[in-house]
Amino acid sequence: MTASAAPSLAPTLAVAPTFDLERVLASIDSMAAQRPVAAQIVSVANSDQASAKELSRILGADVALASRVMKLANSAFYGMRGRVTSLQFAVTVIGFATVRTMATVALTDLDDESRLPEGFWEVSTSLALAASTLAPRFAERPQDALCLGLLAQLGVALLHHNDPIGYADLWAGERSFAGRRYAEVQRYGISALRLTSVALEQWSFPAGMVAPLQMVDDPASFQGALLRSCFEIAGRLTDDDHEDIPIERVSCGQLKERDVLPVLDQVRLDAEELRRALLG
Amino acid sequence: MAARSQLTAKHQAPPEVVAAVFHGVTHSDTMAILVIEQVAGVLRVCWSNDRGGSLLGYALEDLTSLPAAHLFPSLAGAELKLLLRRERAVRMTLPVQSASGAPVDCAILATPVPGGRRWTVRLASTANETERALRATADAHERRFSTLTERSPIPTLLSEQGMRLAHVNDAFCALVDVQAEELLGTGWMSAVHPDDLELVIEQASAVLGGGDDGSDGEVQARLVRADGTERTTVFRFSHLFTPGVGAGFVGTIEDITERLAFEARLAHQANHDPLTGLPNRTLLAEHVASRFHPGDGRLACIFLDLDNFKVVNDSLGHAAGDQLLVELAQRLRATVRPGDLVARFGGDEFVVVCQDVTEQGAVRLAERIGEALRRPVALGGVELRPAASVGVTVQTDEHTAAEDLIRDCDIAMYQAKAAGKGRITVLDSDARAQARDKLRLVAELREAIEQREITCVYQPIFSTEDGTAVAVESLARWQHPVRGSISPSTFVPLAEESGLVSGLGLLVLDETCRQLAEWDQELGMAAPARANVNVSALQLDANLPGHVESALVRHGLHPCRLSIELTESALMKDPGAARQVLLQLRDLGVQISIDDFGTGYSSLAYLRHLPVDCLKVDRSFVAELADGHPEITSAVIALARSLGLCTVAEGVETLEQAEELTRLGATYLQGFSLAEPLTGSAAAAWFAVQHAAEVLP
Repeated sequence: MTASAAPSLAPTLAVAPTFDLERVLASIDSMAAQRPVAAQIVSVANSDQASAKELSRILGADVALASRVMKLANSAFYGMRGRVTSLQFAVTVIGFATVRTMATVALTDLDDESRLPEGFWEVSTSLALAASTLAPRFAERPQDALCLGLLAQLGVALLHHNDPIGYADLWAGERSFAGRRYAEVQRYGISALRLTSVALEQWSFPAGMVAPLQMVDDPASFQGALLRSCFEIAGRLTDDDHEDIPIERVSCGQLKERDVLPVLDQVRLDAEELRRALLG
Repeated sequence: MAARSQLTAKHQAPPEVVAAVFHGVTHSDTMAILVIEQVAGVLRVCWSNDRGGSLLGYALEDLTSLPAAHLFPSLAGAELKLLLRRERAVRMTLPVQSASGAPVDCAILATPVPGGRRWTVRLASTANETERALRATADAHERRFSTLTERSPIPTLLSEQGMRLAHVNDAFCALVDVQAEELLGTGWMSAVHPDDLELVIEQASAVLGGGDDGSDGEVQARLVRADGTERTTVFRFSHLFTPGVGAGFVGTIEDITERLAFEARLAHQANHDPLTGLPNRTLLAEHVASRFHPGDGRLACIFLDLDNFKVVNDSLGHAAGDQLLVELAQRLRATVRPGDLVARFGGDEFVVVCQDVTEQGAVRLAERIGEALRRPVALGGVELRPAASVGVTVQTDEHTAAEDLIRDCDIAMYQAKAAGKGRITVLDSDARAQARDKLRLVAELREAIEQREITCVYQPIFSTEDGTAVAVESLARWQHPVRGSISPSTFVPLAEESGLVSGLGLLVLDETCRQLAEWDQELGMAAPARANVNVSALQLDANLPGHVESALVRHGLHPCRLSIELTESALMKDPGAARQVLLQLRDLGVQISIDDFGTGYSSLAYLRHLPVDCLKVDRSFVAELADGHPEITSAVIALARSLGLCTVAEGVETLEQAEELTRLGATYLQGFSLAEPLTGSAAAAWFAVQHAAEVLP
C-alpha cells in the first residue's frame, strides 16, 4: 500500500515522542462540541432527505459559516454573478456536499491559516479544482471530487495542530506528497491522508469519498487514480522542484500528458479565487 | 474506575437474559460477530459466532486466536488502532481477508467492551445479492441515460450545482466546436456571447431557484464558436434536483440560426422589391409610420414617377424596362443622404423619405435626384435620358397621419406630371385642400352609390314620324345633402377615376329597369317603350352582357325595352373586344346606340362591322343648325341611313331645330324644348297625359 517510488526520507525525522494518535482521534470527536452548527451540517447534509431549506435554516445559526457559503455561491467559481441573494439559494447553487465540506472546514479549523503548514490551501484548492475538472474522465461527479480535493489534507491539519513544529519540519523537509506520506507514517504511525479518511468516515461521509483516500498509494487502484492524478497536478503547480511522474501511470491510463496542460492553466486561474471564496 | 462500574451496572441484566442474547448471537445466520482481545500486546480474535466463520470461510477453531491484523490487511501498522478505539465505537467499510485470501467487503462496527482490552466486531457484507442487483440496475439506468444524452443530436448541458456543468454531450461540443473538457465547470459560459450571457445566467438562476415544481425557462442567446462565428440558439432550462446533492439544471439548446436566416429572408422578400432590392410599399408605410409624429414636422417625402417609361417597355421590351428600373434605383440610392429611405412604390414610381429636412432642403434633394436620373443610360443600343415627374411634400401640422404624407406627395407628383413632366412640384396648401376635398367627395360618392342615393331622371325621346314619345334616356343625378346637386359631368369622371363606375353603372341599369317595370304596371300601354342607359367605357367588358341580362330578368323586362348607349371613344379603345361584347348584347336582344357620335375619332370602317342600331347626333352638331351649318348633322344622319341605322338628335333646343332635323331625316329627337328630364313619377304622369292625347285626339 506504500507509494510506488521510494521517497527520500529525511533521516532526522523520528517518531514524535509526545505524539499520541489516540489523542488526535479523540480530538475529532471533541471538535463537534466547539462548532455545533457546523457539526450539525456535517451530520445532516449527506442525508437523502436533506433539503436546501433545512440546511439553510441550520446554517443561519452560524453567521460566519453562512456568509462564507453566500460568498462562495456568488464567486466566479459558480458563475452566478451576484445573483445569489438568499442562503437557501446559495445552498442550492453550491450543493449539499460543498456545504458539508465548508462546515467540515469550519469544524476542523482549516479556515485558520495560521495553524496550518505554509501553502496548505494552495495545495488544497489545486487538488480540489483539478479533481473537479478531471472527475468526468474518472466517472466521478465534479462536485464530489471538488469536496474530496478540498478535504483531502484534513489529516495534515490534524497532525499539524497536534505537532506544529514537528509537522512543519516534515512538511518543509519533504516536498513530494508520496514522500510526505511516507514520512508521516514513519513519524506518527499513520499518514495524514489515512487520518483524513478516518475522520471523514467517522463523520459518515460517503464511502465514495473515503475510498480514494485509502487507495491513493496503490498504483493499481482505479479508485485512487483521480486523487493520485490530482496530487501530481498539484505538485506541478505548487512545487517548483517537483519531479514529474508520468500522468498516464498515476491515472491508470485515464489521462495523457496533453490532457494536463489545459487543466494546469484552469486550476492556476481559479485556485486563488476559490481560496478567497472559501476562507473569506 | 468509577465510570466503568457505572457502565457495568447500567448494562447489568439477569443471567438468563444474557444467556438468551448470547445464544441468539451465537446462532444468528445474518450477523457475523467476532470478539477481538489484546493479549500480550497483540490483537487476536478470541471468539466468533457461526456466521463469522461462514462469512470468512474459516472453521471456528481456526478463526479464534487469528491475529486481527491478518483479517484487516488494509489497516497496516498502527492503523488497526483506527478501528479498535478504546473510548468509542468505530464504523468503517473495509475489505476483510477471508480464509481463501479473497477480500470480503464489509461494513464494520467495532465496539469497545468496558476494560479497554476487548472489542466486539460486527461484520456485514456489503456485497449481498440484492444490493448488487440494485446497483447493477442503477448502473444500467445511468448507462442508458448517458448513452441517450451522449448520442442525442440535441445539444445538451447538465449542471449538478449552480452554473457549473458536470456534463455536455457531443452535439453541444460540435455546436461550439470546443472539447468537452473546456466546457465543463463554468467553461461553457465562455461560449455564450458576452452580450447574451447575463440573460442566460438569469434564466438558469431562475430555474435553479425554482424548486421542484418543474419550472422551466427559455432564452434566446448567441453562441460563439471556436472560429469566432456565431450561432443563434434557444436555451431551454429545466430544474434538476438530485436527492442528497442539490439542485442543478438540464439545458437543451436549439440552433435556430438557419431558421432565423430563412425568416429574415422571407421578411426581406415580404418587404422588398425583388427587382431593385429596394424597400417596397409595405416597408415604406412602416418606415414612415414609425417616424411620423403629428405636429413634429420633421419628415419629407419625394415621390418620383418616371416619364415615358411605358415607351421604353413598349419599344425596347420589359427586360430593358427592368434594367432601367434597376439602374435608376441604384442612382437613387447613391444620391440620397445616409439614413434616407428609397422605396419602390410600384411600377415606375419611387418614394424617398427624409428626416430633419426643410422644404428647401427637400427640393434641393429632389433636384439632385432629377439630375442623377437624367444622366444617359444605354439600353439595347439606344441612349436614353430618363426623366421623372417629382412631387415633394414636407410634413406640416395638417398631416395627422403618416399616410397623409405619402398621399400628398403622390398628389404633388400628379400635379408635376400634369404641368408637363420632368418637373418638381411642392404640394401647397390650396392644392392639398383641393385634393382632400376630392378625396372626401369620392368617399361620399361611394356612400351615395351604396345607399342608392344616386337617382335617375328620364328625358323623353320623340319619333319624328308622328311626334309621339317612344322612349326615354335614363340620366343619373346626385343630390348631395350638403353640396346640393352635383353634375354628372363632375361625379361620373370621378367615379371612373376612383373605380366606382361599375357600381354606378349597375345602379343606373337596375334603377332604370325597375322604373320601366313600375311604369308598365302603372301605365300599361302608355308606358315608354324603351329606356336608353349610358354605359361607361370602363364597363365595356365581358361582364356587361351578364349584368344587363340579370337586370332584365330581375325586373321581368323584355330585352327590346332596353337600349345601351356607349360613346364612340369607348368603342374605339379596343374595337375587337368591344365588338364581341356588343354582339353578345345584340344576341340578348337589347338595342345598341353610339352616343355623341362624331365627336371622337371614329373609324367608319369599324362602325360598319359593329352591331349597332342607332347613332346619337351630338348636341354640338345640332346647335350648329341654328348658325346655318347643317353639314355635319346632315352627313351623320345620311351615314346612319346608308348603314341602315336610326338616329337620335340630342340637344334639340327649339322647334326650328326639330323641324330641320325632321327634314334632314333624323329618326328621333331629344331636347329640353321638347321635354325636360323627369323623375320617375313625373314621367309616369307625363306619359299618361301623352297617351290620353294620342288615343283621344
